[in-house]
Amino acid sequence: MKRYVVLVGLLASLALVATACGGGGGPTETGPTGATGGIPTGGILREETTDFGFTNAFDPTGEYLGTAWAIYGNFLLRGLVSYPWLPGEKGGNEPVPDLATDLGEVSADGLTITFTLKDGVMWQPPLNRPVTSQDVAFAFQRINTKSLIAQYGNYYCGTIVGMDCEGKSQEDPIEGIETPDDKTIIFHLERPTGDFLYRLAQPAAAPIPPEVAGCFDKAGEYGRYVMSNGPYMLLGSDELDISSCDTLEPIKGYDPDKFMYVVRNPNYDQATDENRKNYIDGWSYVINTNLDDIYNRVLNGEIDLAHGAPPAAILQQYLTNPDLQDNLKTNSGDRTWYLTMNLIVPPFDDIHVRKAANFVVDKAAMLQATGGPTTGEIATTIEPPTVLPDLADYDPYPSPNHAGDVEAAKAEMAQSKYDKNGDGVCDDPVCDNVLMINRNYEPWTEYTPILTENFKQIGINLKVRELDVSTAYTTIQTMSNLIPIAANAGWGKDYASPFGFDYFLFSTAGLSCEGAVNYSNIGLDEELAKECGDEVYEAWKAATDNGRNPLPNVDADMEACVAKPFGPEYNACWADLDRKIMEEIVPWVPYRWGSQNTVLADTVVAWEYDQSAGWTAYSRTAVNNGLTMDEVAQV
Amino acid sequence: MGQVRDEEIGEPVAALGAAEPTSTIIGRTPWQIFWMRFRKDRVAVGAGVFLIALALLAITAPLIAHDLVHHDPNALFRDTLDEIGLPTVGPSAEFWFGVDTSGRDVFVRTIYGARTSLLVALLSTGFAVVLGILLGSLAGYLGGWVDTVVSRAIDLTLSLPVLLFSIGIAATCSITAEGCLGGLIQPGISLVTAIIALFTWPYIGRIVRGQVLTIRNKEFIEAARAMGAGTGRILLRDVLPNLAAPIIVYGTLIIPSNILFEAALSFLGVGIPPTTPSWGRMISDAARGQLYTVAWWMLFFPGMALVLTTLAFNLVGDGLRDALDPRTQVSG
Repeated sequence: MKRYVVLVGLLASLALVATACGGGGGPTETGPTGATGGIPTGGILREETTDFGFTNAFDPTGEYLGTAWAIYGNFLLRGLVSYPWLPGEKGGNEPVPDLATDLGEVSADGLTITFTLKDGVMWQPPLNRPVTSQDVAFAFQRINTKSLIAQYGNYYCGTIVGMDCEGKSQEDPIEGIETPDDKTIIFHLERPTGDFLYRLAQPAAAPIPPEVAGCFDKAGEYGRYVMSNGPYMLLGSDELDISSCDTLEPIKGYDPDKFMYVVRNPNYDQATDENRKNYIDGWSYVINTNLDDIYNRVLNGEIDLAHGAPPAAILQQYLTNPDLQDNLKTNSGDRTWYLTMNLIVPPFDDIHVRKAANFVVDKAAMLQATGGPTTGEIATTIEPPTVLPDLADYDPYPSPNHAGDVEAAKAEMAQSKYDKNGDGVCDDPVCDNVLMINRNYEPWTEYTPILTENFKQIGINLKVRELDVSTAYTTIQTMSNLIPIAANAGWGKDYASPFGFDYFLFSTAGLSCEGAVNYSNIGLDEELAKECGDEVYEAWKAATDNGRNPLPNVDADMEACVAKPFGPEYNACWADLDRKIMEEIVPWVPYRWGSQNTVLADTVVAWEYDQSAGWTAYSRTAVNNGLTMDEVAQV
Repeated sequence: MGQVRDEEIGEPVAALGAAEPTSTIIGRTPWQIFWMRFRKDRVAVGAGVFLIALALLAITAPLIAHDLVHHDPNALFRDTLDEIGLPTVGPSAEFWFGVDTSGRDVFVRTIYGARTSLLVALLSTGFAVVLGILLGSLAGYLGGWVDTVVSRAIDLTLSLPVLLFSIGIAATCSITAEGCLGGLIQPGISLVTAIIALFTWPYIGRIVRGQVLTIRNKEFIEAARAMGAGTGRILLRDVLPNLAAPIIVYGTLIIPSNILFEAALSFLGVGIPPTTPSWGRMISDAARGQLYTVAWWMLFFPGMALVLTTLAFNLVGDGLRDALDPRTQVSG
């Protein structure tokens, strides 16, 4: 169990890192440029990136990167349910039937869900056969296989009867999944699970053909051989020799170090699909390590699209030049950026210091330093309102214009044990050289001067270490480092339910000696503190008065919320929990709800945002560049 | 000591000159000759004056910042930034060199940056010179296995990929709160100084070793040895004074390269702490995301400071070399 948690935590944060690299912003108008009747078809959508950043080598069973989810969903994989590839305000976070005829039939006790598959959904060449319920079951067998490392397998294991993610072989059937015929699949659950449809919409739950994937039993291997039942397929994937496992050669249209090309799947029937529009003839995704060059190429129309906020000087052009304003898209990224404070390390082992931190941080300056409103909106609580609308107006630590309230911060600091003379400024030696971990690139490096000055006002002198992103995460994930405060962390949704947001970050499931994501150590008990080394145990004893005053724990609150029926009651339960965390535990200073920025060239004539993956809805995007894949692909 | 001897001899010289205007052979110490030659080198003297002014500016930076400009180096004037965090105030009466992307005064940070650059460069050069003299003279004088060990150490250090290695050390020592080697090396100025000294001493060491090799068989050393002087005394009293000229010249020429070394490390983000002003870091801030196209002053001023300072040290070094080497002809 421990190792499992370590793994999930580490991988979850890896995914986060990866999604975080995509960019940041605030929910605004999206809208395609006149996406009505006369949208042209054809052309190749050309995109570049500095790094693919896949977390599991593009194997759908384990892949945890938002970009990959957009590629699977729009191009390659049709699951029982999926999303409509639209922004949040148009229902982009709501599951809709895709491979299934409807959203499933749920039994009265909520424990059995039955789906029927549509007719006419085929696998690409050379498979050339209909998609069956056994293909769906096979995807779950892969999730359950330990060696394949399903990075978010926790959404299924423990929920579907017979799944524990410890399976030996992907051939082993799962007790709780029945396939009475090729078109019917029945799931048996351990307990009613309000957000089960969301979990089914994840790419790992989409069907996988055993003929090809069955040849690969190590994590990530199948990523070079992904078979499509969607509107597009990887270039050259139709040339696979599937006569035996030995004859399979990696698909030539995907080189993990260079490019990925997709082209139309001849076996796809548009009549079976209401949500994908499939205007383009293909998509090219090429690695270019020069970020500035990527944005210059978009400006020059040499490529069609790039994700993420451009460098400040280029961003300014998009914001001020009327000809370019429509070419910069800003959408909610469903993610929160925050400072995390450690409940067992002075001075943050005192709740008044943590509250003072919430008051003193100039969130307006943080947003400005990130690149302004384009990059997001100021966060006042844990979950963005796009995930949990109940808390849209909740701000427990208000300040004028969100620029920080020094007086309120000092009032809190004065109540702490580290301010002996009560003047609101820490006068204890623990406030000197307080280590803060940060990332070593923009905009994080811009936060260093702001936070240093902010915290100085309450007597906390930060000593900032700026590290590369993965080192920064590893550093704060290792409990024995006892990092007091960190500014490098962010969290993005897996799917639009508060569960995915709160569970690992604050429950004891997110605690471990290494690879923890509950960086604040909420609920850390004596047993684990001892296991993680003498330093941790000593810190734990000091922070809990030798265990007489245990750390707060929200596990029971979470269990109560998970069991609520999906809907208003479910959201209200999580909203109450968020209030409790923000006011009674205070592990974070949330400062920005990040947005996703996309820049388009004039060649893009229709564009839509896919809220579910936080990325371009490729299946609803059109270009007029008239190119063919032969002219673009450099295979 | 040189000053005192200057005056002792200087006075009679003047008196003699007044009494007998025809040319006379005047006894001069090597330092007098050096100074006469050096001060004729206008370029070197000018560069020296610049460096003295820079040092004064660096020493008085807190006073200037606090009492003259009224901007502390880390004070944030965020109303000088636009909505997306780009600086809108260039060189002006309020901000002489403009503001950076955090709304900090670039002038104040530039003169504080001089503190960092000079401190790191002088300290690391000092350590390198001491280490180089110690090991180089021992190797040259004692020979044998000592020479072998020191010479191989020099070869080894010179063959390391300096920048990669420094980035590695700096990164390793920056991960934990304690630094590395049990807290001996802390990230920041001390670490950068140590790294630079570590990679610079072989240059001094090699030159010193070569010089000592030629000196150690001279007659006056033989004489000293015959009179019963020990190794330490001979090295200190007889060998070292003869090494002064090359050490001064190479020490001065190493300073600018160490300034650039520090700037390079800071540019790469592995140098001194983030909020400590440093020219390298300021240049890297300006270069990021084509910022200099919007705020040229962020690149120009720290860049000019770096160029002028390294140029000045090089010119002074050249002047010293010319003045100290009896074989060069001084013109003008």
